[in-house]
Amino acid sequence: MCGIAGVIYKDKKTHPVGSALTSMLESLQHRGPDSAGYAIYGGLNFSENYYQLNIEVNRRKGTLDNLKSLLTQFSQIYEEQLIESVGDSDVYKCKIALDEYSLLKPCIREIDELENVRVINGSHSFEMIKDVGKVKDIAERFDVPSRRGTHGIGHTRFATESGVDRYHAHPYQSYIIPDITVVHNGQITNYWKIRDPLERKGHIFESFNDTECIVHYMADKLDQGYKLEEALEEAVIDLDGPFSILVGTPNGIGIAKDKLGLRPGVMAETDEIFAIASEEMALHDVIDSDQIEQIAPGETRAYTI
Amino acid sequence: MKEYVIDAKDMDAKELNRTIKKQAPLYDRLVIENPESGHNICAGLSEDIDIQINGSAGYFVGTMVNGAKIHIDGNAGWFAGDNMTEGELIIEGTAGDGAGQGIYGGTVIVKGSTGSRTGEIMKGGTVIIGGNSGYMTGLLMMGGRLIILGDVTDDVGESIMRGTIYVLGDVKSLGKNAVMEKTTLKDQNELKEILTEYDFDLTDVEYANFKKIVNAQ
Repeated sequence: MCGIAGVIYKDKKTHPVGSALTSMLESLQHRGPDSAGYAIYGGLNFSENYYQLNIEVNRRKGTLDNLKSLLTQFSQIYEEQLIESVGDSDVYKCKIALDEYSLLKPCIREIDELENVRVINGSHSFEMIKDVGKVKDIAERFDVPSRRGTHGIGHTRFATESGVDRYHAHPYQSYIIPDITVVHNGQITNYWKIRDPLERKGHIFESFNDTECIVHYMADKLDQGYKLEEALEEAVIDLDGPFSILVGTPNGIGIAKDKLGLRPGVMAETDEIFAIASEEMALHDVIDSDQIEQIAPGETRAYTI
Repeated sequence: MKEYVIDAKDMDAKELNRTIKKQAPLYDRLVIENPESGHNICAGLSEDIDIQINGSAGYFVGTMVNGAKIHIDGNAGWFAGDNMTEGELIIEGTAGDGAGQGIYGGTVIVKGSTGSRTGEIMKGGTVIIGGNSGYMTGLLMMGGRLIILGDVTDDVGESIMRGTIYVLGDVKSLGKNAVMEKTTLKDQNELKEILTEYDFDLTDVEYANFKKIVNAQ
């Protein structure tokens, strides 16, 4: 099934987005027990050309030292934190500086060449938190409720394709343009039809997961100059299969639902908040309104600040 | 009237439904507080009892109910009243997709609007929607009455086999195998009877303006 949730505060100020999304995702826990994740925008406050890297690091002796040694070839390490996680690896977070955004993906690819290391993501305007397990445990592990931001999206996963691991947890991110993320409930049935043209344009795929395909598709559309809502409308036309996709950008969130409406999506809006979720029960955690709207088949909704 | 109040705040669906089933034979009316849009409330309930839900319910509220009268002072999620055989489900707010899906009997009433596939594969009974209804309303209907007082979008009555869909508002498009007919005086009188029973206040002109959608063959 999978559960999706998104919230954006209209005043452009920071709010406890981590806490809000955690409440929403806990309400949606029954939709997916395998992994969960967040993209929380607007809380990092990084100066230009600074980036946060999230890296999965095996606990084998010497791995973290090798990683840091390589990182220092790219940048000074400004802040760092090692978060104890499950399995045989932990999550290493650090802040680096690069001369320009185009160097971020090559940097990530080079780090990925190291043994026993995998980059979960690199971002400038949002923080990615994702891991295997239940929402409550992940929220505690990464202290998510303390995270503030202007908006964010989240996901709780019931894996139906590709592995159950930290990397395949949602959100997925594209590097075609900065800081585009997607969470997704459903399946894309014309995966190769969407992926092939994107690859021919030079976009790099790291997995065979359909959500990765969607995030590259969305980033490519936004890169072409489509506005978020226009890109979502294109997605409804081009993507086949049952889906509700929720997109995060540095200044907005938006949802698109498949033409047959086979995956759920509801939204509610007040003067302060615009919120989207798979189910109404998640909306009640963040928004004081009974005016719940069903997202209709083929419908898109977006809110930007 | 003997009444029992259940606070559902910290209950999961199983615990809540076990409590409902335990108390139902002992009381005339159960009141459920703090349902918090939880799923499967009253699933499989076979007692003839009044149930008042103060707040919204999630997916499959009243599924497979046989005889109970459930009133929701809030919204409902997907598949409200699914496979009901007898009884009454009244939702004061809106409902998600598949409201009244597959009912064999009884009445499902949504005062607000619904999502897609309202009344799909229903085999009997009556579903009334006070507002609008979404895509493929009455999909694969096999019997019963589906009454929409607002507008309906595309593909109404897609692959309908038996049963009747009445629409007072606009019909954007009909589905395959569906055809629109004029209502008869008998149809109008039957509509008046059921809608008046549930306090829908329509004029005679409005009753005459209902569109009737049935199987094309």
